[in-house]
Amino acid sequence: MTGRERVLSALKRIETSRVPIGEIGGGYTDVIIKAILGDQYNQGSDASFLNHQSMRELLGADIVGARITGPAVEVVGIHEDWGTEIFRDFWGATHTQPPDATVQLVDPIAHSPAELESWRPPDVSNFDSSQLSRWKNTTDFFVLATLNAGFDLGYELLGFERFMMWTIEARDIMKQYYEKLIQTNLSLALMSVEAGADAILIADDLAFNTGTFVDPEYLRSDYFPILKTMVMEIKKHGLPVFFHSDGDLRTIIPDLIDCGIDALQSCDPNANMDIPTLKSEYGQDLAFMGNIDVDLLANGTVNEVENTTRTLIHDARSGGGFILGTSNVVASYCKPENLKAMYAVAHKELK
Amino acid sequence: MSSDSIQQAIIMGNVASISTDVNQLLNEGVNSQNILDEQLLPGMAIVGDRFKRNEMFLPQVLMSAQAMQTAIDILKPHLAGNSEARQRQTVIIGTVKGDMHDIGKNLVRIMLIGAGFEVIDLGVNVPTQRFLEATTQHQAAVVCLSALLSSTMNNMKDVVATFRNHSDLKDTKILIGGAPVSHEFSQNIGADGYAPTAPAAVERVQQLCGQ
Repeated sequence: MTGRERVLSALKRIETSRVPIGEIGGGYTDVIIKAILGDQYNQGSDASFLNHQSMRELLGADIVGARITGPAVEVVGIHEDWGTEIFRDFWGATHTQPPDATVQLVDPIAHSPAELESWRPPDVSNFDSSQLSRWKNTTDFFVLATLNAGFDLGYELLGFERFMMWTIEARDIMKQYYEKLIQTNLSLALMSVEAGADAILIADDLAFNTGTFVDPEYLRSDYFPILKTMVMEIKKHGLPVFFHSDGDLRTIIPDLIDCGIDALQSCDPNANMDIPTLKSEYGQDLAFMGNIDVDLLANGTVNEVENTTRTLIHDARSGGGFILGTSNVVASYCKPENLKAMYAVAHKELK
Repeated sequence: MSSDSIQQAIIMGNVASISTDVNQLLNEGVNSQNILDEQLLPGMAIVGDRFKRNEMFLPQVLMSAQAMQTAIDILKPHLAGNSEARQRQTVIIGTVKGDMHDIGKNLVRIMLIGAGFEVIDLGVNVPTQRFLEATTQHQAAVVCLSALLSSTMNNMKDVVATFRNHSDLKDTKILIGGAPVSHEFSQNIGADGYAPTAPAAVERVQQLCGQ
């Protein structure tokens, strides 16, 4: 059975002899890849693709996360505090990456609701889907095409507090903003479909560990109807739709089901998103992926990872609808030996 | 003017109305410290409680905090010249070096301001030495450290150790927070406490300040 077939079985609620396992992309730094591949680490012009492929094959992964790629970012200056390059993304916002730190927004796409109202998203028709096609045409991995929607991307381009305030102060303009972002991401989704994606994953963080950022009623009135149009349009092409969000989503899981979401990825145990419990309540309508704590993979021992993984498989596998993975993405600080242990247990714990 | 009106303006995040109401009370000769203690702080306490119970969410809290800041800005010159005014205690807050995440840290800052503290926000990716300098400069009562990543939480250890080894700042109260940290971790690194949520951080800071 190929990885692609195993994941599709899980989505159809068919329990396979081994649970499917994989990640949505990102996170695997070169340090982690080298540590996992050892002597098999490739050099040369095509090394990046080959190393990602070899690493997943060595681990026994079923899934690869891939993205349509945009044009190279434009460097527009140097940050005066950190001395790092400031670059403009294709949406129009500028960012920088300070030394040993994550990317930071420098200048948002709009400073006022009026500016946001006149903002236009980029044309994505010239974006590149060749990497995604290559995964589909040369491997048996389940190709999970990752893109965004309107909320998480919305606050990344505006800045979190500005975005949150405008949900009250400029409600109509924010709805238009969600529509613009979602239309653009829908274009990327349809390009992904054409390039051979097996499923679309919408990455859209809506919550922190104690609940949603905004009132669920707001999401129901102003956001989910727009998200639903995106999901339904993708599903017309026969592809399942995964949804990624950090945090405690329990108050909005029925809404995500109503939007047409087929699988929920992340499921952080630190946010009360325990897959066996969620499966018992929503397993008929929703498949679940993830649930191994990233902090455990970063700080735990191999023995702790093995025990947690074994218990999760035991509690979550029955009747399919479960894909094992990290509770977010593979973070750069995860220990390679713990990642190997998680995959090894998945391959040992057969039905 | 009723205290309900001011409290409602805080809860609803109504900046225009709070300016009018606070100025009106000052014109009527109401003591600035009383406006703060009896009307503004109780309003923000309601906001904090509702947020804790998921009855208010981030956008509403941000609007309330904006109204609170507006009121405090109006009151500040009056408090400065008020012999009955209580000294507002200062809290230093920042995300430790290597970590650019600021949602949780900003929420704690907002709620601390709402609880009446003077807050100096050092931002993200803050080097250890900057925490010490700011603590000395502002004579801070408490330092709050934030980290979201397992890889950067260990930088909290460095900050706490540097404070503990500093002759003048070794007794500074230090509170930590962020997704990967825990009560056990705070004890292991010698911090004075850990808060799992923003409202809990405010309560813990109040305890550390003897309130």
